[in-house]
Amino acid sequence: MKIEVLEKDETNLRLSIKEADVPLMNALRRIALAEVPSMAIDEVVMIENSSILQDEMIAHRLGLTPLKTDLDGYNLPEECKCQSEFGCSLCRVTLTMDADSTEGTRTVYSGELVSENPQIIPVSDKVPLLKLAKGQKLKLEAYARLGKGKNHAKWQPVSVCAYKYFPKIELLSEQCKDCAKCVDICPKKVLAMKENKVEVRDLLACNLCMDCVDACPQKPSAIKVEWEKDAFIMNIESSGALPPERIIQEATKILDKQLKEFEEQLKVGVK
Amino acid sequence: MIIPVRCFTCGKLIGDRWEEFARRIRTGENASDILDSLGIKRYCCRRMILSNVEIIDEILRFYEEAEKRREARNMY
Ligand SMILES: [Zn+2]
Ligand SMILES: [Zn+2]
Repeated sequence: MKIEVLEKDETNLRLSIKEADVPLMNALRRIALAEVPSMAIDEVVMIENSSILQDEMIAHRLGLTPLKTDLDGYNLPEECKCQSEFGCSLCRVTLTMDADSTEGTRTVYSGELVSENPQIIPVSDKVPLLKLAKGQKLKLEAYARLGKGKNHAKWQPVSVCAYKYFPKIELLSEQCKDCAKCVDICPKKVLAMKENKVEVRDLLACNLCMDCVDACPQKPSAIKVEWEKDAFIMNIESSGALPPERIIQEATKILDKQLKEFEEQLKVGVK
Repeated sequence: MIIPVRCFTCGKLIGDRWEEFARRIRTGENASDILDSLGIKRYCCRRMILSNVEIIDEILRFYEEAEKRREARNMY
């Protein structure tokens, strides 16, 4: 297998993966979405809320605010040694908020959450959580824990984790009349005209829609769009909770763990 | 009511970009250009910001009015 990084920044990762197959790619994708844990607020104790938003709505907004996650320092509550309903310092982080408005209406941001662990803080401190009019107050205690995307979307570490086949575009120059119809119709602007000749400008952007093949007036079409059977482009967009490369690393670890477990159970079963 | 924290469809965090969008749209900038520069690419996320109305501001006006009256009453 050959992996090449096409694009990378703190939240985005685009990989070209060659000599792989669909079952593996799909397993990794599904694990990244549903099984890789991340930190999110799960329970909120409202001490005082005189804002115009209901307790539930504030709790929901707090839950959806992505938190920076420390996977090595915390356990999943169901796997933690404490086995306690309330959690311990290894499986729970307490965040508090005490906001009021003394002068006019103001917006309360996620940056006002005070965490007991300075590592576990909201990804962005500019998320508007609610607005308080003069004299209104909000005081709460929130408990964040690790969880999985299959239980609630707030625990999904990725907003996008998708793969597509690696495109292969062939221009049959002897049949092509350079009418540029294929260039105009392409929604991703993959093709371009250069010195009155059609050329492939951005191959990786192609989403195999085949509009260019249909638009070609030649019969048979002078443009051929195919895909590599064993090459993929994978796109991972992190919510900010974990770096994207860590998410895919965790996904491979989880897949490995599940297969080992399967193997063990199979051995026990067929003995 | 108030800008959602995440995109309903894909789950991308979009709440933190609302205020900049609202500020820049008031200066007459083109909405599409602002969304591009904020890094909001997909149309599911773009509609979250594009179609948001901060109804909470309308409701808060009643509380601001009530507060003003209370203060006025305390003055006399
Ligand atoms: Zn514990
Ligand atoms: Zn979206």
